Amino acid sequence: MMSAVMEQRPSAIQRATEGDADSFAMLIDPLLNPAYRLAAVMLSDRMAAEDAVQEASVKAWRNLRQLRGDESSLRAWFLSIVANECRMTRRRRWWSVVKSADVESDRRTDGPSQEALTDLRRAIARLSPDERLPLVLYFYLDLPLDEVARTLRVSPSAAKSRIYRAARRLRSDLTLEEVS
Amino acid sequence: MSQNFRRDLNKEFDAISGTPSPALSARVRSALEQDRPARTGPFWMAGLAAGLIAAIVVGVLVVASFNRHQTSILPGTAPTPSASPSARQSPSQSPSLTPSPSPAQTPSDSNLPAFVCAGPVSLAGTQTPAVAFVDAVRTGTHAGYDRVTIEFNNGEPANVDMSPHAGTTFTQGASGQQVTLQGSTGMLVIIHGADEHTAYSGSIDIKTGYSVLVELRQVEDFEGTVQWGLGLSKTACYRAFYLTNPVRLVIDIQNS
Repeated sequence: MMSAVMEQRPSAIQRATEGDADSFAMLIDPLLNPAYRLAAVMLSDRMAAEDAVQEASVKAWRNLRQLRGDESSLRAWFLSIVANECRMTRRRRWWSVVKSADVESDRRTDGPSQEALTDLRRAIARLSPDERLPLVLYFYLDLPLDEVARTLRVSPSAAKSRIYRAARRLRSDLTLEEVS
Repeated sequence: MSQNFRRDLNKEFDAISGTPSPALSARVRSALEQDRPARTGPFWMAGLAAGLIAAIVVGVLVVASFNRHQTSILPGTAPTPSASPSARQSPSQSPSLTPSPSPAQTPSDSNLPAFVCAGPVSLAGTQTPAVAFVDAVRTGTHAGYDRVTIEFNNGEPANVDMSPHAGTTFTQGASGQQVTLQGSTGMLVIIHGADEHTAYSGSIDIKTGYSVLVELRQVEDFEGTVQWGLGLSKTACYRAFYLTNPVRLVIDIQNS
């Protein structure tokens, strides 16, 4: 009896698709932190990152019917919208510059590998937002390769290549096998 | 993949991103709540398409007019490029006010007017249409201030008056009925020469969950006058100014 009741109860994603904003807000709430981190690294601007996440959330809400699959597909779909919003933000703000100052912030001057970290910081600053994106998804957000691929809307092998190419710009002795 | 590489990379990404504002979740919820009416029904797509076409037509007309009459502000003669949008505040702001500069202004805010902590503020519109049509009302919270943005689709309204309001009970313009907003004190925004029922279909009662601006509610949209009541959790300094492309009335309420 209980299982029958459970089966009849609409899922959060169904309720959201039918227009329940609270259900949608609950669904994406756990995704806001990774979405913000993705946007902050792509834009190098924390305030703009929060704006981008807000805009992306509204766009996702408006286009929820376009989501293919179930709740397990939501993260990759939402993050792809956030990434797209970041691209649009940069196009709109054509006059803005990549805020390398933000990249330089919060640095610690102690520790044995400071020089290596500084090199890495500079190398990251030289990457375009679209080059940072696969690195953020794979290394920072720790998404599995197939989810990285769905977020980038490419095949898993293409996603792997993008991660590898971007990572090679940060560490030249990297091998493809190390991106597994 | 070397674990050191991953660790160092993540450390750098942490330094870039920091942590999101605790209000981000409330901000997103508020944005979703405000968008609720806009996404319901199959007319949304048609409305969007019509809006886009109208925007393109208006844009072409505005650009044509701009090129004819405003050649002095072509890109080559623009002021020093800045990372912040240019803001315009009316000189009619009450001279008796005691401006208090915002504490912790970000560089992008450096061109914005100072916050004022008492008395009314007026903004006179320029090149105003007979009636300025509101087409969006948005809220957001930022470091230092909560923001209300009221967007117009055809130019600035004739005049905007803002003033602190005792309590959070407001009298609705047309009906005379009283409404009480959340918060402990209020602010009244009166927009003269504006209309909020032709192009605006969003929420007229927005509960934000922010630290200072907790609720805003339309209290009049009648005979060319639009009024919004703002419910605040405490008395706060504020500022108002216009941004362009599109025309937006921006009201910042200090939250720190």
